[in-house]
Amino acid sequence: MTTLDEDLRRAAATAPGEEALVAGDRRLTFAELDAAAGALAVRLQALGVERGDRVAILLPNAIEAAIAIYGTLRAGAAFVPLNPTIKADKLAYVLRDCEATAIVTDDTLSSLAQQASNEAPGVRHTLRAEEAADARGTRSCPAASVSWPGGARSRPAPTTAPISVDLAAIVYTSGSTGRPKGVTLTHANMAFAAGSIVAYLGMRAHDRVLCVVPLSFDYGLYQLLMCVRTRATLVLERGFAFPGRVLELLVREEITGLPGVPTIFQVLTSAGAGAVAHDLPELRFITNTAAALAPATIDALRAAFPQARLYSMYGLTECKRVSYLPPEQVDVRPESVGIPIPGTEAWIEDDAGARLPPGEVGELVVRGAHVMQGYWNDPAATAERLRPGRWPWERVLATGDLFRQDDEGFLYFVARRDDILKSRGEKVAPREVETVLHQADGVRTAAVVGAPDRMLGHAIVAFVVPHDGATLTSAALRRHCAACLEDYMVPARVELRDQLPTTPNGKVDRRALANEAAALAAGPATVR
Amino acid sequence: MGETEVGTALRAELRAYIEEAFLYLHPDVELADEDEFLTLGVIDSLGFVELVEEVQTRYGIAVDALEITEENFGSLDALVAFVERRR
Repeated sequence: MTTLDEDLRRAAATAPGEEALVAGDRRLTFAELDAAAGALAVRLQALGVERGDRVAILLPNAIEAAIAIYGTLRAGAAFVPLNPTIKADKLAYVLRDCEATAIVTDDTLSSLAQQASNEAPGVRHTLRAEEAADARGTRSCPAASVSWPGGARSRPAPTTAPISVDLAAIVYTSGSTGRPKGVTLTHANMAFAAGSIVAYLGMRAHDRVLCVVPLSFDYGLYQLLMCVRTRATLVLERGFAFPGRVLELLVREEITGLPGVPTIFQVLTSAGAGAVAHDLPELRFITNTAAALAPATIDALRAAFPQARLYSMYGLTECKRVSYLPPEQVDVRPESVGIPIPGTEAWIEDDAGARLPPGEVGELVVRGAHVMQGYWNDPAATAERLRPGRWPWERVLATGDLFRQDDEGFLYFVARRDDILKSRGEKVAPREVETVLHQADGVRTAAVVGAPDRMLGHAIVAFVVPHDGATLTSAALRRHCAACLEDYMVPARVELRDQLPTTPNGKVDRRALANEAAALAAGPATVR
Repeated sequence: MGETEVGTALRAELRAYIEEAFLYLHPDVELADEDEFLTLGVIDSLGFVELVEEVQTRYGIAVDALEITEENFGSLDALVAFVERRR
């Protein structure tokens, strides 16, 4: 099976009555998901969406998001998943950049979608999920209860089934230039990556995965793709705000797989997740990515969920995932992010492109069918990451991350080459936050750095120098950021200064600022 | 149902805290007592960690993980009822 659409068709054909999705009180079988995706595909095509077009998806973790993804694919189009906390300007930028022809959203987000679409003339249609998929989409209702307006079942099925080399998705990720870059992925890329991950996790039909990670984040997105591929059930929850709710879901839905990032596991374990562990005999695997788990969190997780295998993983959107640490290695090599995922290769190169022996630090390079096709509309950035490979037709991914390997080939993260931060497991480009701060009235200059934070990974800290006479407050600047940036990019702290430290050649001394930010973080809690 | 004087004071106090800690980032939002913080986007996942910590220290309540739910922390109404019940 080489397309994501085929994965769903196969699931609907072989396990039509099995549960595909659970969200709140609503449950959808594979047959129902398949029918709903088909109806949306017909609807999109009736609106003029053509093969290869881009359809933006602005939805929280809900059944509609899954339908929108597979409906878009069945129409032969590519989906562009967007974080629901995105703000209008950035949304408009992304819509223009990927030249989206339609956007699928919900009632809550539709005014935002409309506002952004006004700045993105290519967007011809805004579809609201509620118009169609109402609260009746429960297990007791017929498949037709989840349909899209105009998607009458009597219409012919769409005829433009995608093939493996078709564009399946553009996933936007923070770039160090401060402008998000669109990672282009084909069906073959995504189906391969999903299959490889499924293989090492040992996922199978009847697994039940709880997804509190946003579907707009590739980690969340792949939970859906992997569940559909294996005919497992995906239980969707809108974030991890309520650990009590997450723990209740783990028990009630008999969850077998729990993906998370350190922030999530920190919240769950510090909230006393162990209290429910005895009710979770089915939990088989816990996966972590985006940043390394602190040793204390690993201990807490294993104490709370002794029955589950714990996977540390490493990846980047440009190839989805690079490596995983087999669970039995966690005690042997706790610092390692493991070995390349099945069916792929990874090695360390020096600046001249020569492979380095074990122990030496260089750039991590990745080879395999999961490597992206490039950045949308950005040949310069693409050339930086995709380099000629072993064969004339092949390109390998130069990750930009510094790694080393041990004698047995296990990989160790050393540092990033760029200044991208990871907060709550998501990438934050300091430049993007600085650009927003520079747009605020009265700001002369701003520099953004990360401070180590137990909960966040990096806490975003901004240092701002006001113009002479400008009266700026930390609160007002954070408010300005909150109005322009996704939640996870808003600085936890804004410090006002008369000037910023500089290096001997006159540039802002980011290292000094990072040290200062770390010292501040170690001090008393943020005063707002 | 009428609210006791103590209840009214508690509500005012909690609202003041929510405004000071979270709402100031969202000047456009008019928060009604029954509005869900999460749906309105005024408090996100990590914000709730902060909120729970504040409730624990301010009112001397030991909050169990299983109690951190929408029903207890999801709105100002929920919060007032939870604190009244538990302090």
